[in-house]
Amino acid sequence: MMKSRAAFVTVIAILLATGASVANPGGNGDADRDYTCGGSCHGDPALSTPSDGTVTVSMDETTFTGTATAIHVTASGMSLSGNRLLGVFILGSANGNDDHPEDHGWSIVQDPNGGTHNYVEVTVPSSGSVTLTWVMLAPQTTGTVNLFVATHHGANPNSNNWAYSGLTRGYTVDVQPVPENLPGFAFDWKPETRVTGDTSPTVIKTTNTTSVSVQWMLEGEWIPHDAEVTGEGDEWHAQIPATIGDTRIQYQVTTSNGEFSITQPWLMVATQPAPFDGNIWDARLQGFALALLVTSFLLALQARLSPWEGGPVDMTSEVEAESAPPEPPGLEPEEPDQPDEYWSRLVPSEENPGWLWDPVEEEWVADPENPPGGDE
Amino acid sequence: MFGAATFHAAMAEIVVGCMVLASLCAIGCATGSIMPNFLGGRLSSDRMMLTMDKASIAGACLGLLFIPIAALSGSFAADNTVNNALLYNKFVYTGLAAGFWAAFVIGRIRLGPGLWEHRSLSALQGATAGMAILMTTMASSIGGKLVRGESLFDIMPIWLPSDTATVLNPIVSIVLMLIGTGSLFAVLRLGPQPERIETDQS
Repeated sequence: MMKSRAAFVTVIAILLATGASVANPGGNGDADRDYTCGGSCHGDPALSTPSDGTVTVSMDETTFTGTATAIHVTASGMSLSGNRLLGVFILGSANGNDDHPEDHGWSIVQDPNGGTHNYVEVTVPSSGSVTLTWVMLAPQTTGTVNLFVATHHGANPNSNNWAYSGLTRGYTVDVQPVPENLPGFAFDWKPETRVTGDTSPTVIKTTNTTSVSVQWMLEGEWIPHDAEVTGEGDEWHAQIPATIGDTRIQYQVTTSNGEFSITQPWLMVATQPAPFDGNIWDARLQGFALALLVTSFLLALQARLSPWEGGPVDMTSEVEAESAPPEPPGLEPEEPDQPDEYWSRLVPSEENPGWLWDPVEEEWVADPENPPGGDE
Repeated sequence: MFGAATFHAAMAEIVVGCMVLASLCAIGCATGSIMPNFLGGRLSSDRMMLTMDKASIAGACLGLLFIPIAALSGSFAADNTVNNALLYNKFVYTGLAAGFWAAFVIGRIRLGPGLWEHRSLSALQGATAGMAILMTTMASSIGGKLVRGESLFDIMPIWLPSDTATVLNPIVSIVLMLIGTGSLFAVLRLGPQPERIETDQS
């Protein structure tokens, strides 16, 4: 009875444990998304609740068309799920569709994770605060535009399985006409992503620029280093050291043309792991080879452990019989008595007195109680 | 219509379900054989052993039948590309699982239901089922990691490697395949043939 109860309680505990797992606690990865992913759990009023965190946004209120500007987002004080994952959006509107900043004329040069997405996921450090920076090129048309920041996160514990979401007010940016001949990044330029260990130069595309200088530093460093820059026209090559391991390198480009000298926002050398060097046929062949090896090894082991045809026969009795000396005369072991079953099947014959007929072996056997010729 | 990923998920669930049944019953048979007094001898009763034996072989056969379907549908779900170690390891662990389950099924069919009466064979068959379900759950766990970014095995303190892969040169894999095929032929055709062990109940 006790065991049944223990089993019942264990099953119930396992079933209840699944409640701790919500829709996408591992996140969905960096991507280009509308507000609340266009209507996710975080956007469903029945499944979500307002974020308890604080979000502050720092950016220039005035910028010039097509020029680079940095938007710094600091999120702090929010509840977090066990993996401390936080999703942060930068948006041009909060309608649920066409909210991407690029739908409103912006161009994302770099997101906080080194990509070019408007939604990124980060692991919040134990301090509970994280600052993310987007570098974007302002729209090509003048006027005022808004930028919103939204956050998605979970909580631990989260008994109601709520998806937490936060949305800031719209931050207005006044986009003014760019002064003629202002040097800057080319509007279609995106920093390249380098592979770990790659020392190839970083390509920078510019406009209205006659000279470029680049400074770089490791994240956390205070004093930047000058990078060697070559090139001319609108394409420049900056020699920035390779990134190895988890190190992150930041660099800052200054574009000049004799009339203006513009120091651009800090960018990050986007680094990705070296491409995986296996392909599907390698995987298939390796899996198939291992399957065959494992099967053959185990079948051999089974054959070794099992009784098998033609296996070693126990010849002990025969060997002992051959090697043992004969018994002395008079001490030979007596023949074992025939079983009663044997004698009961023998049939006496009136035609052959003293003999019994064995119908199984089909032979005559001398009757021990009436030996043949015993009366003579 | 539905996508390859949905079909793969359904097939993988069938495989895992069948294999869990098969492995639990096989380990139960091995335990009943090695420790006859376990659970007051109820596990090692003739009726229980016969039932568990039949359930294990039925589950393993069905699961083994669905492994290629699950593997192929998974391959299509991944657009027939392997671009990370997790996905590569999923193929490798699937191969290992198929190997262990094939050995389990072939061994049980060749040796008969009486194999559970031999302690050494019983232990080997139980260990084979244990390793097979380990490889099966490892492959399915990687599926969870790929799709949802998490798996129940995340809470395990120690687990088999899945974030890094040992990629063999295809020529080495082909050589290993030939060795495996030759070994299989030798075991099944050239080596001593094990006797089928029948039981009174069979």
